Amino acid sequence: MNSNVFLFVAFVLGACSACKSPEVTSTQFTTQDGTIVANIAYITEFSIKCASGVVGNLYASFEGNVVPVSVVGENQYQVSWSEDNKVARSGEKVVKIYDEVSYTAIRKALRAGEDTSAIASFVDVSVHHPGAFNGPWLKSEFLAAVLSVGIAYVAVSSRSKLAA
Amino acid sequence: MPAKVNKQGFTKEEELLLQDFSRNVSTKSSALFYGNAFIVSAIPIWLFWRIHMIDLYSSMIPFLIVTALSTYLISMAYRNTKFLLKHKIANKREEAVTRELTKKLAEDKKMSRKEKDERILWQKNEVADFEATTFSIFYNNALFVAIIIFASFYLLRSFTPTVNYVLSVSTTAGLLALLSTGTQ
Repeated sequence: MNSNVFLFVAFVLGACSACKSPEVTSTQFTTQDGTIVANIAYITEFSIKCASGVVGNLYASFEGNVVPVSVVGENQYQVSWSEDNKVARSGEKVVKIYDEVSYTAIRKALRAGEDTSAIASFVDVSVHHPGAFNGPWLKSEFLAAVLSVGIAYVAVSSRSKLAA
Repeated sequence: MPAKVNKQGFTKEEELLLQDFSRNVSTKSSALFYGNAFIVSAIPIWLFWRIHMIDLYSSMIPFLIVTALSTYLISMAYRNTKFLLKHKIANKREEAVTRELTKKLAEDKKMSRKEKDERILWQKNEVADFEATTFSIFYNNALFVAIIIFASFYLLRSFTPTVNYVLSVSTTAGLLALLSTGTQ
């Protein structure tokens, strides 16, 4: 009996202490040099400030996958993934972060095969990828070949002018 | 008075005229040719060492042999190109040289007509020699560098760097020497 009361109190407390109006501050890293790697890494690290309540377990969703967010410190969370260099597009990428409540809703929707986009996320974290450097547009040997062929053309044409 | 005749039986004027068609090169332009040919033959070593990543010390022997061969072939190409062009350049510049020298020598009353003609001939020869020498160096260098870059980066890129080096440099130098033996 006592334990039931205790569980009930814990549940009520827990429900009451869910994070309200969260504010996210995040830092990010993405691979900038694509010349020597096959995959582009994305890392975002963020902290959440609640007006009231505490943050529980978090889950991140991108491209249809839902994974747990790793906790790397006190109120410090991290999500990272990688994409093939060829398909990685530059620009803003939004990672939806779900708390326990919305995660449960997501799981339910996934089980039922329903669309998950309608489920409101807890917070959104955006990662800006400026695009990786994949080597110069014109290769230097091409430039060298074009330049030297140009000079050779001048040489040949002035020779034919002299010999005419 | 008959013109001074030297050992070979030519007058000085005839000698000057013959020089116009001569295949012989002076020591000065020969040194210029060999020096330039050596520099331009050695430049591909840098390309293959730094860009195609050949090890400099282990490939020292092919480097030396190919550079020596290519120096010889390119200086031959220089000489032949110079020979082909010299007479044509002399014809093209004759008028201008004559005009300039006549103006310059007009005040000199002491100089005989024949002497003036000789001076003009000599000057024409000098001008044509200089122009043909420098143009021949420019022409062959430009073609050599262009063919080497094209061959080493595009035609022979699938070969190992050492084979690429030996083939591209020696065949380019050979090609230039061969082309220079043409008559046009």
